[in-house]
Amino acid sequence: MDKDTYAVALKNTLIEIRKICPDVSCSFIFTKDGTIIAGDPEANEETMEKTVDSFQSITEKADPIGGLQALLIDGEKGKVHLSRVNDMYLALAASKNADTIFLQAVTRLIVPTVLKLLESITPTPIPIQSAPSKQLVVDTLSGFFAGDSVQIDVETLTQWSEILNRKNIDDVEIEAFGGKTAKCKVKEINDPKLKGKGIIRMPEKIGKALEVKKGELVRVKPTAT
Amino acid sequence: MPAKTKPKKEIENVQENLKNIKNIEGIIGYLLRGPNSASIDLKDPTKIIDYAVLSASAFEAGNDISKEFDIGEVDTIVLEGEDTKVLSMTLIDHRLSIFMEKKVDHNKLCKDLDLT
Repeated sequence: MDKDTYAVALKNTLIEIRKICPDVSCSFIFTKDGTIIAGDPEANEETMEKTVDSFQSITEKADPIGGLQALLIDGEKGKVHLSRVNDMYLALAASKNADTIFLQAVTRLIVPTVLKLLESITPTPIPIQSAPSKQLVVDTLSGFFAGDSVQIDVETLTQWSEILNRKNIDDVEIEAFGGKTAKCKVKEINDPKLKGKGIIRMPEKIGKALEVKKGELVRVKPTAT
Repeated sequence: MPAKTKPKKEIENVQENLKNIKNIEGIIGYLLRGPNSASIDLKDPTKIIDYAVLSASAFEAGNDISKEFDIGEVDTIVLEGEDTKVLSMTLIDHRLSIFMEKKVDHNKLCKDLDLT
């Protein structure tokens, strides 16, 4: 079965679901890497893309709960359920009073059954490897020679190089408590007194961008290539 | 996410109720962020940043998705992981995220903590 036929089969499934449950106002299916596979005729392309972007922003941070299986948003006027179905995700928007049991049946039975049937004759997406991360304490680099790079222990950089099979780790992504993120160049800590203390030394302007101060914790990981 | 119109006294009650939340079976901990302060109580403190970042992302994404689908003010956001889930909601100008095992009935928890 080619990709178009696969998408048509899924689109028809979503249309049938809406016929059975008129409370469902919109539905679509996308892959783990964000590719939208199929949507019902009410699914606006911009809405689907923005939803997938928002969903993926959480997925990237969901390791502490064992990856994201589902996101349920209950609003004043309606609800949106995004649920993992096999290797894909199903998004359903429904009215406030939509039958939750029916929605669960759709998520857990109908769509998985259709996907299983289709996947038995088409390949599934390849999972993406995530980079390791570390919690480090912020130390401020100030002065004329502060530069634009952050500094962390060479042991950490070596460990990441080995895990990711990369010669060097040149850039890192930093996430702060408040959700701010920054990507910047990284070097090893050059002050021997500060080595092995689990700190990240960062220029003041990076600290300001992340809204963090000396002594606060941040999460650091190598940027994806 | 627009703030709800609960009186501040109720927020204080919620804060009081949260003090013993970890005694409830299956509860991992909570984060409560106000405009000028944050209360954090997690069984595993090494995961504070991870949970805080996840919580912030949940609010941001929940708000964005709510606007896309025009479902109005967000009441609750639930993130479900492999065996853990997170319940997030806004209380006046505070953002609350409770981390728990998947088996915990979060609707009942809301009632128990007077969050509904």
